[in-house]
Amino acid sequence: MENLLLFVSSIRWQDIVDIVLNSYILFRLYVLFRGTPVLRVLIGIALLWFSQRVAVALGLVLTSWAIQGITAAAALIIIVVFRNEIRSVLQAKNLKAILWGVPHQTGETPVETIAETAFELANKRVGAIMVFPGADDLDELIQGGIGWDGLVSREMIGSIFWHDNPVHDGAAIIQGNRIKKVAAVLPLSRRDDLPSRYGTRHRAAVGLAEMTDAMVLVVSEERGSVVLVKGTEIRTIRKKEVLTEAIEEHVGSTKTQWGYRRKEKRELAVAALASLILITAVWFSFTRGQESLVAFDIPVEYVNRNPATEIVDTSVNTIHVGLSGPGTLIKSLRPDQVKVRLDLSKAAVGHNSFAITSDDIDLPPGLVLRKVKPSTVEVTLDVPQEKILPVQVDWVGKLRNDLILTGAKVVPARVKIKGGKTILDGLSTIYTEKVRLDQIEKSGSLKVKLALEPATLMIAAGSSDTVTVDYVVEKRALDLSAR
Amino acid sequence: MKRSLALLLPVVFCLIASSAQGVAAQETPNTPPVPKAKALTLVEASVCENMKGSSPVDPAIVFSASLGKIYCFTSFDPVPREMDIYHEWYRKDKLKAKVKLTLKPPRWSTFSSMRIRKSDLGPWQVYITDAKGRVFKIVRFSVTE
Repeated sequence: MENLLLFVSSIRWQDIVDIVLNSYILFRLYVLFRGTPVLRVLIGIALLWFSQRVAVALGLVLTSWAIQGITAAAALIIIVVFRNEIRSVLQAKNLKAILWGVPHQTGETPVETIAETAFELANKRVGAIMVFPGADDLDELIQGGIGWDGLVSREMIGSIFWHDNPVHDGAAIIQGNRIKKVAAVLPLSRRDDLPSRYGTRHRAAVGLAEMTDAMVLVVSEERGSVVLVKGTEIRTIRKKEVLTEAIEEHVGSTKTQWGYRRKEKRELAVAALASLILITAVWFSFTRGQESLVAFDIPVEYVNRNPATEIVDTSVNTIHVGLSGPGTLIKSLRPDQVKVRLDLSKAAVGHNSFAITSDDIDLPPGLVLRKVKPSTVEVTLDVPQEKILPVQVDWVGKLRNDLILTGAKVVPARVKIKGGKTILDGLSTIYTEKVRLDQIEKSGSLKVKLALEPATLMIAAGSSDTVTVDYVVEKRALDLSAR
Repeated sequence: MKRSLALLLPVVFCLIASSAQGVAAQETPNTPPVPKAKALTLVEASVCENMKGSSPVDPAIVFSASLGKIYCFTSFDPVPREMDIYHEWYRKDKLKAKVKLTLKPPRWSTFSSMRIRKSDLGPWQVYITDAKGRVFKIVRFSVTE
């Protein structure tokens, strides 16, 4: 539950825009290319891509690599092979149609043309069978057939059912103003009460009509009659006007009640939902699917400090920050995009302790703070000051037993030191770096640097960080070892 | 001629008047001075390896911890009245001991001592102060191996 809340809280508005935008692009591609072979190939490529992701998830290195190659090649091939279809879609439509419009696949059925052509065929004794689907899906009942997708015209119907045409034996499926399929094989009726003059064409018409709400128009080759079959009713039509009216009634009723528009709307809604689901899945795969961890050492920025004070000491200079987030974000993340800012507006002169919270750390959107180390930072503030301090030599080592160091003069004897007031208040002497006695055998002079402790101390302008030490060594009157 | 004399007379009068005032001002330092009380004065201060009677032996600025003990010798002249002074022993600005010593007029020498060990290596100071904390001198030295 906690993980779910964390996940929901980590979704950015950019992510939602990302998903919606790409879902709409996918949906538009479907709308523009539906009914063309391009869509089927696009679906194939999507399946290839999905297979590749599955292969990656399963750790099938070679398979994923091969599928990735095939997918890339297929994407190129689709553009080359289907360039004409793509061009026709893009050229045939204006910008509004590409971005927003939904082209209807079926137009008004040219009923009069069909009626006229039916009687012309009848006169010429050319057999024909035309199916006008209703709301029922015919795909499962119709076998075979060749996709046609041509506009209905007298010449087109005439040529389809012409004797020498290889597809003239099957049925033509007419949807709207288009002949969707030709040479379709319809289920034959098992009725035994059909007149003996009805051949296979009639039996097929009756077979489909009794199983669906489609209307079937049959032109008899032998007798030149026109028969209309719907449901169980078989009507011989003698006048063109009657046929026109009958077809109009069927097509009109399917439009208003269970028509194609409604079917089309349902199809588009399913496509939109599928696009959304698919893109969401892809988005997850790209982003959340590869949750990654990364850690950086980020320099601490101290902000809003009182200008009269200065930072003389901090417990740390960098904070170890552990982050998690989508792999793509983590991969592109640079340390300088993460900021650790400590607000010193409430800090006082002296020692301050601050707990590092998520408010102190700026992260790019989409990343989650997992670890902060250390969790607290100690900051010492002080008022900058200068102080003149005497210099003392820090002798170390062992002087020869027969020698005695009787005096040393340091030049300059005093130096001006810059640092925090509280530190300087506690200091009364500045020491030199350690000077070894082991090599000293007689009086002499040496230059030595000052040891500034703590390191926040500095030599003020006008003072040198090096002093000269003139020392005096004398022979001991009585050897210590002899004592 | 008479007119010139009339102009000179006031000038001469003014000069005579001003010289009389100067004489009066120079007379004031001639009043007998009040005798000042002689202040306590430090004439010698050193850290040494040993004391022989009331004299320091082998004063130095570096002492081996193997000595075990060192001394801070101070001599005051004059000492106007009996009074206390302090020897404050510091190791690296940290007070290790504060020794009260009494001085007696007219002059006085005195000393304090400090035990030193291996753990006391480093720079030292002895602040010689009066009872009010006024520092007469800081004697600096180091304890080494």
